[in-house]
Amino acid sequence: MSLQVFRHWIPTVKDAFDRTLMVAKFFCSLHVTNTFLCTCALAMGPSMLPTLNLTGSLVLVERLSIRFGKMASGDVVLIRSPEEPRKVVIKRIVGVEGDAVGNEEATAVVPKGHIWIEGDNKHNSRDSRQFGPVPYGLLEGRVFWVMWPPEDFGSVGRKVENISLESSAGCQKT
Amino acid sequence: MSRLFQFVRQWKPIIKEGFSQSFLIAKFLCLLHVTNTHVCTPVLVYGPSMLPTLNLTGDVVLVEHLSQKFGKVGPGDVVVVRSPENPRKTVTKRIVAVEGESVTFLVEPALSDRSHTVVVPRGHVWIQGDNIYSSRDSRQFGPVPYGLILGKAFWRVWPPDAFGSLSQE
Repeated sequence: MSLQVFRHWIPTVKDAFDRTLMVAKFFCSLHVTNTFLCTCALAMGPSMLPTLNLTGSLVLVERLSIRFGKMASGDVVLIRSPEEPRKVVIKRIVGVEGDAVGNEEATAVVPKGHIWIEGDNKHNSRDSRQFGPVPYGLLEGRVFWVMWPPEDFGSVGRKVENISLESSAGCQKT
Repeated sequence: MSRLFQFVRQWKPIIKEGFSQSFLIAKFLCLLHVTNTHVCTPVLVYGPSMLPTLNLTGDVVLVEHLSQKFGKVGPGDVVVVRSPENPRKTVTKRIVAVEGESVTFLVEPALSDRSHTVVVPRGHVWIQGDNIYSSRDSRQFGPVPYGLILGKAFWRVWPPDAFGSLSQE
Protein backbone atom coordinates (compact mmCIF):
# COMPACT_ATOMS: atom_id res chain seq x y z
CA MET A 1 0.00 0.00 0.00
CA SER A 2 2.97 2.31 0.49
CA LEU A 3 3.71 1.88 -3.22
CA GLN A 4 0.25 3.29 -4.02
CA VAL A 5 0.92 6.39 -1.92
CA PHE A 6 4.20 6.78 -3.78
CA ARG A 7 2.52 6.53 -7.18
CA HIS A 8 -0.07 9.08 -6.03
CA TRP A 9 2.58 11.71 -5.47
CA ILE A 10 4.66 11.17 -8.63
CA PRO A 11 2.80 13.64 -10.92
CA THR A 12 2.96 16.36 -8.25
CA VAL A 13 6.65 15.84 -7.76
CA LYS A 14 7.21 15.86 -11.52
CA ASP A 15 5.24 19.08 -11.81
CA ALA A 16 7.24 20.71 -9.02
CA PHE A 17 10.47 19.58 -10.67
CA ASP A 18 9.46 21.03 -14.04
CA ARG A 19 8.52 24.35 -12.53
CA THR A 20 11.74 24.53 -10.54
CA LEU A 21 13.71 23.80 -13.71
CA MET A 22 11.86 26.61 -15.50
CA VAL A 23 12.65 29.06 -12.70
CA ALA A 24 16.28 27.92 -12.76
CA LYS A 25 16.48 28.45 -16.51
CA PHE A 26 15.03 31.93 -16.10
CA PHE A 27 17.61 32.83 -13.46
CA CYS A 28 20.36 31.39 -15.63
CA SER A 29 19.41 33.60 -18.57
CA LEU A 30 19.05 36.59 -16.21
CA HIS A 31 22.53 35.90 -14.90
CA VAL A 32 23.99 35.61 -18.39
CA THR A 33 22.35 38.90 -19.39
CA ASN A 34 23.65 40.57 -16.26
CA THR A 35 27.17 39.32 -16.76
CA PHE A 36 27.57 39.88 -20.48
CA LEU A 37 25.07 42.49 -21.61
CA CYS A 38 23.53 44.90 -19.18
CA THR A 39 22.83 45.08 -15.46
CA CYS A 40 21.51 47.49 -12.82
CA ALA A 41 23.43 48.99 -9.98
CA LEU A 42 22.51 51.13 -7.01
CA ALA A 43 24.98 53.97 -6.60
CA MET A 44 25.28 55.66 -3.23
CA GLY A 45 27.60 58.21 -1.74
CA PRO A 46 28.80 61.72 -2.40
CA SER A 47 31.74 61.04 -4.69
CA MET A 48 29.88 61.35 -8.00
CA LEU A 49 27.77 64.44 -7.28
CA PRO A 50 26.23 66.12 -9.20
CA THR A 51 26.02 63.32 -11.77
CA LEU A 52 24.67 60.74 -9.30
CA ASN A 53 22.71 61.27 -6.09
CA LEU A 54 24.02 61.10 -2.55
CA THR A 55 21.23 58.89 -1.27
CA GLY A 56 21.06 56.48 -4.16
CA SER A 57 20.66 56.35 -7.93
CA LEU A 58 19.62 53.32 -9.90
CA VAL A 59 21.82 53.12 -12.98
CA LEU A 60 22.06 50.82 -15.99
CA VAL A 61 25.50 49.37 -16.64
CA GLU A 62 26.51 47.84 -19.96
CA ARG A 63 29.25 45.25 -20.18
CA LEU A 64 30.01 45.21 -23.87
CA SER A 65 32.36 48.20 -24.05
CA ILE A 66 34.90 46.61 -21.73
CA ARG A 67 35.13 43.43 -23.74
CA PHE A 68 35.70 45.32 -26.95
CA GLY A 69 38.18 47.70 -25.33
CA LYS A 70 36.04 50.74 -26.12
CA MET A 71 36.44 52.53 -22.80
CA ALA A 72 37.63 56.09 -23.18
CA SER A 73 38.33 59.16 -21.15
CA GLY A 74 35.10 60.65 -19.78
CA ASP A 75 33.18 57.38 -19.33
CA VAL A 76 31.51 56.76 -15.99
CA VAL A 77 32.45 53.22 -15.01
CA LEU A 78 31.73 50.52 -12.47
CA ILE A 79 35.06 49.30 -11.11
CA ARG A 80 36.16 46.82 -8.46
CA SER A 81 37.90 48.75 -5.68
CA PRO A 82 41.67 48.13 -5.53
CA GLU A 83 41.53 48.62 -1.77
CA GLU A 84 38.55 46.39 -0.94
CA PRO A 85 38.14 43.59 -3.47
CA ARG A 86 34.54 42.86 -2.45
CA LYS A 87 33.42 46.44 -3.09
CA VAL A 88 32.46 47.89 -6.44
CA VAL A 89 32.65 51.67 -6.91
CA ILE A 90 31.48 54.09 -9.58
CA LYS A 91 33.89 56.72 -10.87
CA ARG A 92 34.72 58.55 -14.08
CA ILE A 93 37.72 57.73 -16.28
CA VAL A 94 39.89 60.84 -16.45
CA GLY A 95 42.91 59.33 -18.20
CA VAL A 96 43.84 56.13 -20.04
CA GLU A 97 47.30 54.61 -20.56
CA GLY A 98 49.76 57.16 -21.83
CA ASP A 99 47.76 60.20 -20.74
CA ALA A 100 49.23 62.75 -18.39
CA VAL A 101 46.93 63.45 -15.47
CA GLY A 102 47.18 65.92 -12.67
CA ASN A 103 47.13 69.58 -11.93
CA GLU A 104 49.70 72.34 -11.44
CA GLU A 105 51.15 70.71 -8.35
CA ALA A 106 51.80 67.18 -9.59
CA THR A 107 51.56 65.42 -12.94
CA ALA A 108 51.73 61.68 -13.59
CA VAL A 109 51.67 59.55 -16.72
CA VAL A 110 49.22 56.66 -16.63
CA PRO A 111 51.16 53.38 -17.15
CA LYS A 112 50.35 50.76 -19.76
CA GLY A 113 47.31 48.64 -18.99
CA HIS A 114 46.00 51.07 -16.36
CA ILE A 115 43.43 53.86 -16.13
CA TRP A 116 43.09 56.93 -13.92
CA ILE A 117 39.70 57.37 -12.28
CA GLU A 118 38.29 60.28 -10.32
CA GLY A 119 34.94 61.05 -8.77
CA ASP A 120 33.03 64.05 -10.12
CA ASN A 121 32.87 65.54 -6.62
CA LYS A 122 36.56 66.27 -6.21
CA HIS A 123 36.23 67.32 -2.57
CA ASN A 124 34.70 64.12 -1.28
CA SER A 125 35.94 61.23 -3.35
CA ARG A 126 38.48 58.49 -2.74
CA ASP A 127 39.94 57.70 -6.16
CA SER A 128 43.15 57.49 -8.17
CA ARG A 129 44.41 60.63 -6.48
CA GLN A 130 44.69 58.51 -3.33
CA PHE A 131 45.27 54.95 -4.57
CA GLY A 132 47.01 55.56 -7.88
CA PRO A 133 46.23 54.28 -11.38
CA VAL A 134 44.03 51.19 -11.52
CA PRO A 135 44.61 48.16 -13.82
CA TYR A 136 42.15 47.91 -16.71
CA GLY A 137 41.31 44.35 -15.59
CA LEU A 138 39.34 45.69 -12.61
CA LEU A 139 36.74 47.39 -14.80
CA GLU A 140 33.29 45.86 -14.52
CA GLY A 141 31.08 47.94 -16.79
CA ARG A 142 30.14 51.34 -18.19
CA VAL A 143 27.30 53.36 -16.67
CA PHE A 144 25.19 54.73 -19.51
CA TRP A 145 21.72 55.50 -18.11
CA VAL A 146 20.19 56.70 -14.84
CA MET A 147 16.79 55.11 -14.09
CA TRP A 148 15.99 56.58 -10.67
CA PRO A 149 15.39 59.25 -9.29
CA PRO A 150 12.99 60.35 -12.02
CA GLU A 151 14.39 63.87 -12.16
CA ASP A 152 17.75 62.43 -13.17
CA PHE A 153 16.31 59.99 -15.71
CA GLY A 154 18.47 60.11 -18.81
CA SER A 155 21.77 59.20 -20.32
CA VAL A 156 25.11 59.66 -18.60
CA GLY A 157 27.42 61.57 -20.88
CA ARG A 158 31.14 62.00 -21.17
CA LYS A 159 31.18 65.42 -19.54
CA VAL A 160 30.30 66.49 -16.02
CA GLU A 161 27.12 68.57 -16.01
CA ASN A 162 27.75 72.15 -15.04
CA ILE A 163 25.19 73.02 -12.39
CA SER A 164 25.87 75.41 -9.56
CA LEU A 165 26.89 73.84 -6.28
CA GLU A 166 24.43 75.90 -4.22
CA SER A 167 21.40 74.36 -5.92
CA SER A 168 22.51 70.77 -5.30
CA ALA A 169 21.10 69.37 -2.06
CA GLY A 170 23.53 67.55 0.18
CA CYS A 171 26.63 68.77 -1.65
CA GLN A 172 29.64 69.92 0.33
CA LYS A 173 30.61 73.53 -0.12
CA THR A 174 34.20 74.65 0.08
CA MET B 1 2.46 30.85 -54.25
CA SER B 2 1.24 27.36 -53.51
CA ARG B 3 4.67 26.03 -54.46
CA LEU B 4 6.14 28.24 -51.75
CA PHE B 5 3.71 26.82 -49.18
CA GLN B 6 4.58 23.32 -50.27
CA PHE B 7 8.26 24.07 -49.92
CA VAL B 8 7.81 25.49 -46.40
CA ARG B 9 5.63 22.57 -45.30
CA GLN B 10 8.27 20.17 -46.50
CA TRP B 11 11.09 21.83 -44.63
CA LYS B 12 9.26 22.79 -41.44
CA PRO B 13 9.91 19.60 -39.42
CA ILE B 14 13.57 19.63 -40.40
CA ILE B 15 13.97 23.25 -39.38
CA LYS B 16 12.20 22.54 -36.11
CA GLU B 17 14.52 19.63 -35.43
CA GLY B 18 17.51 21.79 -36.33
CA PHE B 19 16.37 24.43 -33.84
CA SER B 20 15.85 21.99 -31.00
CA GLN B 21 19.25 20.37 -31.56
CA SER B 22 20.93 23.78 -31.62
CA PHE B 23 19.18 24.69 -28.38
CA LEU B 24 20.47 21.52 -26.80
CA ILE B 25 24.02 22.33 -27.86
CA ALA B 26 23.59 25.93 -26.67
CA LYS B 27 22.37 24.73 -23.26
CA PHE B 28 25.34 22.40 -22.98
CA LEU B 29 27.78 25.19 -23.85
CA CYS B 30 26.06 27.47 -21.34
CA LEU B 31 26.53 24.90 -18.60
CA LEU B 32 30.14 24.36 -19.63
CA HIS B 33 30.77 28.10 -19.57
CA VAL B 34 29.19 28.56 -16.14
CA THR B 35 31.28 25.70 -14.76
CA ASN B 36 34.43 27.12 -16.34
CA THR B 37 33.84 30.60 -15.00
CA HIS B 38 32.57 29.90 -11.52
CA VAL B 39 33.77 26.46 -10.50
CA CYS B 40 36.78 24.93 -12.20
CA THR B 41 38.51 25.20 -15.57
CA PRO B 42 41.61 23.74 -17.24
CA VAL B 43 44.28 26.23 -18.24
CA LEU B 44 47.36 25.79 -20.43
CA VAL B 45 50.34 27.51 -18.82
CA TYR B 46 53.71 27.88 -20.48
CA GLY B 47 56.86 29.92 -20.06
CA PRO B 48 59.94 29.84 -17.85
CA SER B 49 58.73 31.96 -14.97
CA MET B 50 57.36 29.15 -12.81
CA LEU B 51 60.19 26.60 -13.23
CA PRO B 52 60.67 24.09 -11.68
CA THR B 53 57.05 23.89 -10.52
CA LEU B 54 55.54 24.25 -14.00
CA ASN B 55 57.13 23.24 -17.28
CA LEU B 56 58.61 25.58 -19.87
CA THR B 57 56.80 24.06 -22.83
CA GLY B 58 53.35 23.86 -21.33
CA ASP B 59 51.34 22.24 -18.57
CA VAL B 60 47.61 21.88 -18.30
CA VAL B 61 46.47 22.72 -14.79
CA LEU B 62 43.04 22.78 -13.18
CA VAL B 63 42.11 26.18 -11.80
CA GLU B 64 39.31 26.54 -9.29
CA HIS B 65 37.44 29.78 -8.77
CA LEU B 66 35.79 29.14 -5.43
CA SER B 67 38.71 29.95 -3.14
CA GLN B 68 39.09 33.37 -4.66
CA LYS B 69 35.40 34.20 -4.20
CA PHE B 70 35.51 33.25 -0.51
CA GLY B 71 38.77 35.07 0.08
CA LYS B 72 40.65 31.87 0.87
CA VAL B 73 43.64 32.49 -1.42
CA GLY B 74 46.82 33.08 0.51
CA PRO B 75 50.61 32.96 0.48
CA GLY B 76 52.06 29.88 -1.19
CA ASP B 77 49.14 29.41 -3.60
CA VAL B 78 49.79 29.27 -7.32
CA VAL B 79 47.21 31.61 -8.86
CA VAL B 80 46.07 32.69 -12.31
CA VAL B 81 45.93 36.48 -12.43
CA ARG B 82 44.81 38.97 -15.08
CA SER B 83 47.95 40.86 -16.02
CA PRO B 84 48.00 44.47 -14.75
CA GLU B 85 50.06 45.43 -17.79
CA ASN B 86 47.94 43.83 -20.49
CA PRO B 87 44.32 43.18 -19.51
CA ARG B 88 43.84 40.61 -22.26
CA LYS B 89 46.61 38.40 -20.89
CA THR B 90 46.54 36.08 -17.88
CA VAL B 91 49.66 35.10 -16.00
CA THR B 92 50.33 32.32 -13.50
CA LYS B 93 52.45 33.13 -10.45
CA ARG B 94 52.71 32.29 -6.77
CA ILE B 95 51.40 34.53 -4.00
CA VAL B 96 54.28 35.46 -1.75
CA ALA B 97 52.58 37.97 0.54
CA VAL B 98 49.15 39.45 1.16
CA GLU B 99 47.99 42.87 2.40
CA GLY B 100 49.79 44.17 5.45
CA GLU B 101 52.76 41.84 5.14
CA SER B 102 56.22 43.08 4.32
CA VAL B 103 58.10 41.50 1.41
CA THR B 104 61.87 41.43 0.98
CA PHE B 105 62.90 40.49 -2.52
CA LEU B 106 65.92 40.48 -4.80
CA VAL B 107 65.40 43.19 -7.38
CA GLU B 108 67.68 41.76 -10.09
CA PRO B 109 69.03 38.39 -8.89
CA ALA B 110 71.00 37.76 -12.09
CA LEU B 111 72.86 41.04 -11.85
CA SER B 112 73.28 41.94 -8.19
CA ASP B 113 72.48 41.03 -4.61
CA ARG B 114 70.49 44.20 -4.01
CA SER B 115 67.27 43.54 -2.12
CA HIS B 116 64.29 45.76 -1.43
CA THR B 117 61.55 45.64 1.18
CA VAL B 118 57.98 46.67 0.53
CA VAL B 119 54.79 46.56 2.60
CA VAL B 120 51.87 45.19 0.59
CA PRO B 121 49.02 47.75 0.62
CA ARG B 122 45.40 47.00 1.59
CA GLY B 123 43.45 44.94 -0.93
CA HIS B 124 46.58 43.84 -2.83
CA VAL B 125 48.80 40.74 -3.08
CA TRP B 126 52.44 40.29 -4.01
CA ILE B 127 53.04 37.64 -6.68
CA GLN B 128 56.34 36.20 -7.86
CA GLY B 129 57.31 33.47 -10.27
CA ASP B 130 59.17 30.51 -8.77
CA ASN B 131 61.98 31.15 -11.27
CA ILE B 132 62.99 34.63 -10.12
CA TYR B 133 65.71 34.87 -12.77
CA SER B 134 63.22 34.79 -15.59
CA SER B 135 59.93 36.12 -14.34
CA ARG B 136 58.05 39.36 -14.80
CA ASP B 137 56.02 39.76 -11.62
CA SER B 138 55.34 42.09 -8.70
CA ARG B 139 59.04 42.95 -8.54
CA GLN B 140 58.51 44.78 -11.83
CA PHE B 141 54.85 45.84 -11.85
CA GLY B 142 54.22 46.18 -8.12
CA PRO B 143 51.55 44.66 -5.87
CA VAL B 144 48.46 43.46 -7.69
CA PRO B 145 44.87 44.21 -6.54
CA TYR B 146 43.08 41.14 -5.19
CA GLY B 147 40.29 41.75 -7.71
CA LEU B 148 42.57 40.67 -10.56
CA ILE B 149 43.00 37.14 -9.19
CA LEU B 150 41.01 34.74 -11.38
CA GLY B 151 41.55 31.45 -9.57
CA LYS B 152 43.87 29.06 -7.77
CA ALA B 153 45.73 26.31 -9.65
CA PHE B 154 45.49 23.17 -7.56
CA TRP B 155 46.04 20.13 -9.81
CA ARG B 156 48.20 19.37 -12.83
CA VAL B 157 46.56 17.27 -15.55
CA TRP B 158 49.22 17.23 -18.30
CA PRO B 159 52.00 16.02 -18.84
CA PRO B 160 50.90 12.65 -17.47
CA ASP B 161 54.16 11.92 -15.68
CA ALA B 162 53.63 15.07 -13.60
CA PHE B 163 49.96 14.39 -12.87
CA GLY B 164 49.13 15.41 -9.33
CA SER B 165 48.49 18.22 -6.93
CA LEU B 166 50.50 21.42 -6.93
CA SER B 167 51.57 21.29 -3.32
CA GLN B 168 52.88 24.27 -1.44
CA GLU B 169 56.60 24.86 -1.27
